Amino acid sequence: MKLSRASLAPICLVAGAFALAGCGAASTTSSGPSTSGASGGSSASSQILRIPYLADMSVPDPDIFYDIEGNSVILSSYDGLVTYAPGSTRIIPDLATSWTISPDRLTYTFHLRAGVHFHDGTVMTSASVKRSFERRLAVNQAPSYMLKPVASMATPNPLTFVVHLKSPVNPFIDYMASSWGPKVIGPAALVTHAGSDHAETWLATHDDGTGPYELTSFARGRQYVLTRSTDYWGAQPYFKQVLIKITPDIGTQQLELQNGDVDAIMHSFPASELNQLPSNVHVEEFPSFLRLLLYVNTNKPPFNNPAVRASLRSDVNIPQLVAEAYSGTATPSTGAYPEAILPNQPKLPYAPNPKLATAGAKAASTKSITLAYTADESGVQRRVGELIQADLEQAGWKVTVKEVQLPQVYGYINNLKTAPDLMLQTNTPDASHPDTWARILFDSTGGLNFLGFKDAAVDNLLNQALSAPPAKATSLYQQVGQDVVNSNEIFFLGDVKNVFVLNKNLTGVEQVPAYPWTVTLADLKRVGG
Amino acid sequence: MASLVGRRLIALVAVMFGLVVIVFALQAVIPSDPVRAMVGASASPAVVAQERHKLGYDKPLPERFVDYLDRLAHGNLETSLRTRNPVTQDLGTFAPATLELALSAAALAAALGVGLGLLLVGGGRPARLLRLGLIGGASVPTFLTALLAILVFYSTFHLLPASGRVSDTLVVPDGPTKLLLVDSLLHGEPNLFWSAFTHLIMPAFTLALLPALAIARTLATSCEQIMREDYVRTARSKGLRERRVLVRHALRNAAGPALTMSGLQFGLLLGGIVVVEQIFAWPGLGLYLDQSIAYSDFPAITGTTLLLGAAYVIVNFLVDLAQAWADPRIRTV
Repeated sequence: MKLSRASLAPICLVAGAFALAGCGAASTTSSGPSTSGASGGSSASSQILRIPYLADMSVPDPDIFYDIEGNSVILSSYDGLVTYAPGSTRIIPDLATSWTISPDRLTYTFHLRAGVHFHDGTVMTSASVKRSFERRLAVNQAPSYMLKPVASMATPNPLTFVVHLKSPVNPFIDYMASSWGPKVIGPAALVTHAGSDHAETWLATHDDGTGPYELTSFARGRQYVLTRSTDYWGAQPYFKQVLIKITPDIGTQQLELQNGDVDAIMHSFPASELNQLPSNVHVEEFPSFLRLLLYVNTNKPPFNNPAVRASLRSDVNIPQLVAEAYSGTATPSTGAYPEAILPNQPKLPYAPNPKLATAGAKAASTKSITLAYTADESGVQRRVGELIQADLEQAGWKVTVKEVQLPQVYGYINNLKTAPDLMLQTNTPDASHPDTWARILFDSTGGLNFLGFKDAAVDNLLNQALSAPPAKATSLYQQVGQDVVNSNEIFFLGDVKNVFVLNKNLTGVEQVPAYPWTVTLADLKRVGG
Repeated sequence: MASLVGRRLIALVAVMFGLVVIVFALQAVIPSDPVRAMVGASASPAVVAQERHKLGYDKPLPERFVDYLDRLAHGNLETSLRTRNPVTQDLGTFAPATLELALSAAALAAALGVGLGLLLVGGGRPARLLRLGLIGGASVPTFLTALLAILVFYSTFHLLPASGRVSDTLVVPDGPTKLLLVDSLLHGEPNLFWSAFTHLIMPAFTLALLPALAIARTLATSCEQIMREDYVRTARSKGLRERRVLVRHALRNAAGPALTMSGLQFGLLLGGIVVVEQIFAWPGLGLYLDQSIAYSDFPAITGTTLLLGAAYVIVNFLVDLAQAWADPRIRTV
């Protein structure tokens, strides 16, 4: 059929209306600068590493960043004074080659590495470290708490940096090794781009660290590009560039990994699919401090009754639950703290007992309860929720399972009467020290104390433990753990592993348990590349 | 015409106001603490309080609402809690990708809708079979179409890329339009154009499919009614061929309902953008909105909602204009 020009008019009209429709949308959005930028090289090569993120990181500013997604960007572009050895909680040198702690535990003296350059070419000195620490305090965002105990800082020579604390702080050296701990930022960049916000605007899309990679592009929502630093002080990384692409759907990530368009999936790979992987990928699992917890709301019936709460110990077969939901990528928790950061904890008193479980439900003033879980892309928390629901219903409870978002969870503390009765959440400590776990979870003002656990004795023990001599502190942390376990207000269900699914030719995977979802990008290599 | 424009402008303001009210009401209904989520678990109560005060979250909701309207009147959509950028800046970053996708999907939906609609009017067994096919197609949800498209065209046949807006190793020019198809041509970069084009095909098709089917069915029904009118019978009696009667005499008069449907479908298309951008990792407003919702980033949610709402009202206004062009009787109403 041949259409005349006139007869095309209605077709063009409809098409034109749609086209104009789009223009209408554009006209209201064209203002405002764009951060979209260029990506790295001009052609794909074996020396480009591609990894996906499920979501944008908040900002690549180490003094503001406090998420998990994005850790690899921060840890690749910045260095701290110390770090953790791969696979352990042992603190090893990073920008400080050695350090001493005074007998009164108030003075930390760091001897800095010589010949370290920032990405802008300037030399790192003790003044740079001091300036970075001062900036963290001035920016005063979440990670600043690690430097709040600092009384003063000194730079007796360019390669010696001294920190004086107001009072002893046992986890202080672990704060320095934390992935969210203080990082050293080029002072020249901080001055040049200071603006009125301590260079926050500039550092939201750039870096000036001393790490093996430089953040050369930060296109929010699309892709971040890390480019190998030319004068990195350590071993030269294998990959020239790391392209971190925002791919919010785990299914798409899986297909791209299978087709070789990405090199690795760093987290949230559905555990149930790990045994059906194609031959071109492999799995590497590492212990982590990620822990699955069940919070109990004791601020309303039925779990304000200690006896009813105690029966929860008998409701769930935890080893079976963990095995079924995580398909071998988690193990049942053995104590209130991750075993690696606090050894010799008493065994958790959880054991399935149908009689006790039924009795508990019978004694409850209401049998209708709500179990909330935070949304996760892998769906594992939903699965855990459903399994717990089944166990509880067998005991006589009527359970409604619901998915919630993290900000909602943070809001529960403001109105605990309307908060769910039970809540599942996976958390991790900031560092490999029991204080960084206990203080956010068990202290009455702790940030992860979502359902209002409150015990004045625990608060008191934690305050003592912070400054107590190390041996005494260990026993105090153990006592805190025991008190929390005995309260039945937080149940410790599973220790979740870091699971990386990688292309078969990718080797050199090094992982630190305290750095969740993160591998050391500079150590990765491609064999046969 | 002036009164039509006036009415639509009033509608635009009313819709925007309504959207702001709804999003603020949601903040009151949903118990959440975005400030705590923003500053993190280990932030001291003092830091949380300081940030809450800085952002104005310590004020009563009605007061915040009035403040927001005041800022909105000055073009200030506040600062995103997640990205820490002004929301207007974020919208400027993400909107061009959505605009390009929506434009392409809309054009594709229009072309497909009109083409399929005309085929349906043809009658006979092929038209009946096609109608069945359209009904079946309309029942497939967008996310399933997206997954199927990725499985077939990316995973199985390796014809099209699965995610993103352009190949990750290509340099993306920063303007002038931020529409990659246009900018690549303006910069004389055929590789970039081809990459952007191939990345666009699956998301645009996925987004266009349901609106196209709705347009096709509406156009076909409208045409069939028109084809029973006296003036069409007159045209036939003059010896004109059926196809010519349809295209020359019936189509323009049948376009009204199809145009109305197009406007309504644009809303559906905007709704589908969140899912499509999520699955295809398309860096647009849908992806921005989805990430903001997970963070209870209300300034970003409100800003995006307002922008998409405005787009919907403007599109329907343009549809009204198109209808007035197609049917002069409307201009006098």
